[in-house]
Amino acid sequence: MVYEIGNFLMQFSEVFSFFRLVNYITFRAIMAALTAVIFVFLFSRRFILFMHRRSMLDQVRETGVLSALDKSGTPTMGGALIIGAVLSSMALWGNWHNPFLVCSLAGMLWFGLLGFYDDYAKVQRHSGDMGVSERNKLVAQGLFAFGFALFCVGPYAPFEAAMTTKLYVPFYKYALVDLGPFIYGAFILLFVIFVSNAVNITDGLDGLAITPALFVVTVLGIFAYVEGNRIYSGYLFYPYLRGVGELTIFGAAFVGAGLGFLWYNAYPAQIFMGDTGSLAIGGTMAVMSVLLKQEMLFPLLGGLFLAEAITSQIQDKIGVRWVGRRIFYRAPLHHNLQHKGIAETKVVIRLWIVAGILALISLATLKLR
Amino acid sequence: MNSILILFICFIVLIGLAGYGGWRWRRLAAREARIILTGGGTGGHVNPALAIAEGIRKREPESRFLYIGVHGKAESVIVRRAGYPLRFVLSEGFPGLKPSFRLLRFLCKLTLGTIQGTAILLWFAPRWVIATGGYVSAPIILATLILRMLRLSPTKVYLHEQNSIPGQLNVLLGRWVDRVFLTFPQTLSFFPGNGVLVGYPIRHSVTLKPREEALADLPFRVSPERQVVFVFGGSQGARTINRALVDALPHLIPHRDRLFLIHGTGLSKSDGYDAAADTQERLEKTLSNGEKAFLDTFYYRQDYFHNIADVYSISDLIVCRSGAGSLNEISRMGKPAFLIPKANLPGDHQVMNARAMKHSGATEIMFEDTVVEDGKVLEKLEGKLFAERILRLLEDPEQLREMGARGKAFFRHHAVKRILSELYQDHSFDNGISYDTVPFKPLLSNQRLLQVLSAAYGRSPEAYDPLQVLGDEDDLVYYRHRAAALLSHKDWQDRNLGVKLIGFTHYHQKIPTLLHMLVDRTPANPIRRCFGGDFEQVAFIRRNAVQALQVFNQCDANIEKHLLTALEDPYFEVRSHVCGAVAHFASSLEGKEIWIEAMLNCLRDKSFEVAAEAAKALGEIGTDQSVLEVLLRLRESHYWQVRNAALVGIRRLVERDVIKPSKALLSQISGFILTATDFQPHFSIKKTYQTVQKCCRERLSEDGEGQGIERSHPNPGERTA
Repeated sequence: MVYEIGNFLMQFSEVFSFFRLVNYITFRAIMAALTAVIFVFLFSRRFILFMHRRSMLDQVRETGVLSALDKSGTPTMGGALIIGAVLSSMALWGNWHNPFLVCSLAGMLWFGLLGFYDDYAKVQRHSGDMGVSERNKLVAQGLFAFGFALFCVGPYAPFEAAMTTKLYVPFYKYALVDLGPFIYGAFILLFVIFVSNAVNITDGLDGLAITPALFVVTVLGIFAYVEGNRIYSGYLFYPYLRGVGELTIFGAAFVGAGLGFLWYNAYPAQIFMGDTGSLAIGGTMAVMSVLLKQEMLFPLLGGLFLAEAITSQIQDKIGVRWVGRRIFYRAPLHHNLQHKGIAETKVVIRLWIVAGILALISLATLKLR
Repeated sequence: MNSILILFICFIVLIGLAGYGGWRWRRLAAREARIILTGGGTGGHVNPALAIAEGIRKREPESRFLYIGVHGKAESVIVRRAGYPLRFVLSEGFPGLKPSFRLLRFLCKLTLGTIQGTAILLWFAPRWVIATGGYVSAPIILATLILRMLRLSPTKVYLHEQNSIPGQLNVLLGRWVDRVFLTFPQTLSFFPGNGVLVGYPIRHSVTLKPREEALADLPFRVSPERQVVFVFGGSQGARTINRALVDALPHLIPHRDRLFLIHGTGLSKSDGYDAAADTQERLEKTLSNGEKAFLDTFYYRQDYFHNIADVYSISDLIVCRSGAGSLNEISRMGKPAFLIPKANLPGDHQVMNARAMKHSGATEIMFEDTVVEDGKVLEKLEGKLFAERILRLLEDPEQLREMGARGKAFFRHHAVKRILSELYQDHSFDNGISYDTVPFKPLLSNQRLLQVLSAAYGRSPEAYDPLQVLGDEDDLVYYRHRAAALLSHKDWQDRNLGVKLIGFTHYHQKIPTLLHMLVDRTPANPIRRCFGGDFEQVAFIRRNAVQALQVFNQCDANIEKHLLTALEDPYFEVRSHVCGAVAHFASSLEGKEIWIEAMLNCLRDKSFEVAAEAAKALGEIGTDQSVLEVLLRLRESHYWQVRNAALVGIRRLVERDVIKPSKALLSQISGFILTATDFQPHFSIKKTYQTVQKCCRERLSEDGEGQGIERSHPNPGERTA
């Protein structure tokens, strides 16, 4: 809104020339982050209280780890706070005509609503296992992913036609391969579904999902800044994506909201993000990666999420359902570590460290290529 | 252009023919009673159809009947003999919705059968179609329903369901037929709109006759002081019963002077079982020549008795399957029965039938076992046991007579009359049974059973008794058999469930099977091995077998031997569970020395879980100072769980007075690394809340007794705000 008003007023008078600040991405990014943090701080306590009064509390789910039992009764759906903060911050500072921003917001909202529905169902049925069924969840995720993939390979894609369906990999300057619209579209579809679920699986311990997500979004924001800037992108041999700088502002708002959320979510948590948050975060990260043409960076950047998702799937689909044994002690990764006798706080901080290191390595690919 | 014209003409002709067919049908059906009977597969489906036909014929002697069945089944023998015209269509049992070759074949046969049925219907033009269930009647019902939908047929369709749990096809087709006649009140819940409780129609000829009169019609003689036992497995025969009886014969021969056995082997010649030939062969094998000589004096065999009433009349005890037909005939005759329900049927309907009859006090039940013989899954009854049960029942003729009398109450009279009143819509007979469903206690599914039993076990492992949890001994016996049947399934998930259930139902006879599964080293298929699989009896099965042994709470040398072998299992959970079992059985173990040696080995295991369990077990079985030293050596172990377990072990050694507490010991255990990566946090406010809650509850129960104060038990974690 500020962006629109500023540009509108600048047309009329020199008096408003200080509004040119809104044309600087860095300024808007910082303001967006601050707005989001303030939003979360303003509303969290009321939100937590509200959830308590409405009995929107986390339901027990049998995970086999004892300390998890102690936590049933914590208010859930904290993801709504994050989404609210990002939305209001973007309402103020975003350029609403930018297709990149609209895509990211749409992804976040869609997955957020899906997660909200899931959380709500769990609360209503008083069971952590009786939310939306796995199949229906996949269908809903697939629906968005399909539409998004169509958009990305179709004629309205916000990229130059030459690079629409090209796949870039880290540590390599040029596009690795042109996949063509069908394969690339299918790739995007699977990528979005996979990433959103990976975050969902990671969200099992206090603060475990949000901090690594912050690292990921920060790095993606930096990439957006570079790729959206003609000079930097030329210097670092990145494809120049006109207008993608808007994602820096989006990312900043997201980081602000996430930091505010961590304030309350840090061990011992006063609120959980629930599926509302984890799916929304996953959706956002997936959409941002695709829009920045950095899909193949994600396995490195979000290596933690990848490891969590893969251990969980191997254990469940291959081990328990098919071969008839446990392949890891427990799954996903964080429960495995807990089972090996590491306290929850320690597991979380160690995994933050791992995620941070991965983020640093990913950042290095800016120059090392 | 030409071809379109031809097509058009064909179309017109077809419509004309169809219209003519419909007209002719209506005319014929109005003029005389033309009735199609269909249903079969077993005598239990055919006989009620014939009973209904008898009833109609009595009322309208001019009526014309046509029986439609499937070739080579019971109907081809029974119906011919009863003198009704018979035609065949194609059909097959419904294999379930899972995509398979059998489903495809079923659909093809059903389609062809329906076309055949349509032709027969158009030609015969019946007024009613009376189906007695089974897949045999499906094509005719379908054809009628289709023709009715096309307004070509004025026919009414009636279905008779004999079992307490209807078959899948009957449930599906039952929605569209005019009436569903039911045998058991429980079944009304499946057909809420059009179900009518009538009972089981029995043919007029099946009535009790005086013994002499009955004997006169039979091809054998029995002296009056002998007790007659009639053993049969329904019209098709039952492999289990036939074989069990032959196996029982050597045990019955000593009692030949007071016994007479009548054996109905059954008509079955398909599905890999020829009843008569198989029985003959088994007789040759089982009996010595000397024994065979006695056979003729007290044993008579025939494949099927068309005059079964005569046989019933002279019998003192009837041994058979618990199909609805046999049960109703027996109870009409007022004879005592010894039932062997067929296991593993959809909905367990034979077991349900038997349970229903048992409540009237008229029967004894024995369940068959599921075993694997020569790689084939078979149901089996132990011959010796079978003979013993029969002999025990025969010992008390007074009780037998009483059982027979009680059985009469089970039978629902006037089924045919009630059906006729529905067919003619004249309310000529009403048995007063409304649509109210009768409550009945359903059997638990295997999964549910597991939940119930494991919850009970979790509450108090020491005082666990499955009989107490389930209440009914027959149910428990049946559940045991069902669990045992799971062990021979192809899917490991089923076998796994079976292993767990055998433990929780305390089925001691299956311990050898569990032990065999535990140490069975048949490799899994190579693809699974690539992904970490090892043996055919997958890791979970072996782990749960160990757990089941622990639930049995019984240990002997053989079990110990197998557990020792299981310690070399490649899967860590099996090893750790064995260590746990050793700690559990510590006091009753025989080879203590061997076990200490084995546990010491386990301390070096790759998996810390195993090492921790082994350390605890050593605390339970350790006999001297050397164990203490080993445990002390664990003080610097990487995993705090192992260090913790070592301390637990040492505590047990002290408690068991194996080692004396001393200053030296205190200084030795001070060497343990007590820093750990884990701790148990607790929320003070939740603790306080719980104490307040507890305090309130106690006060409430003191003051509120007899005042009906409702005590709620909310989750302690809820509403802490």
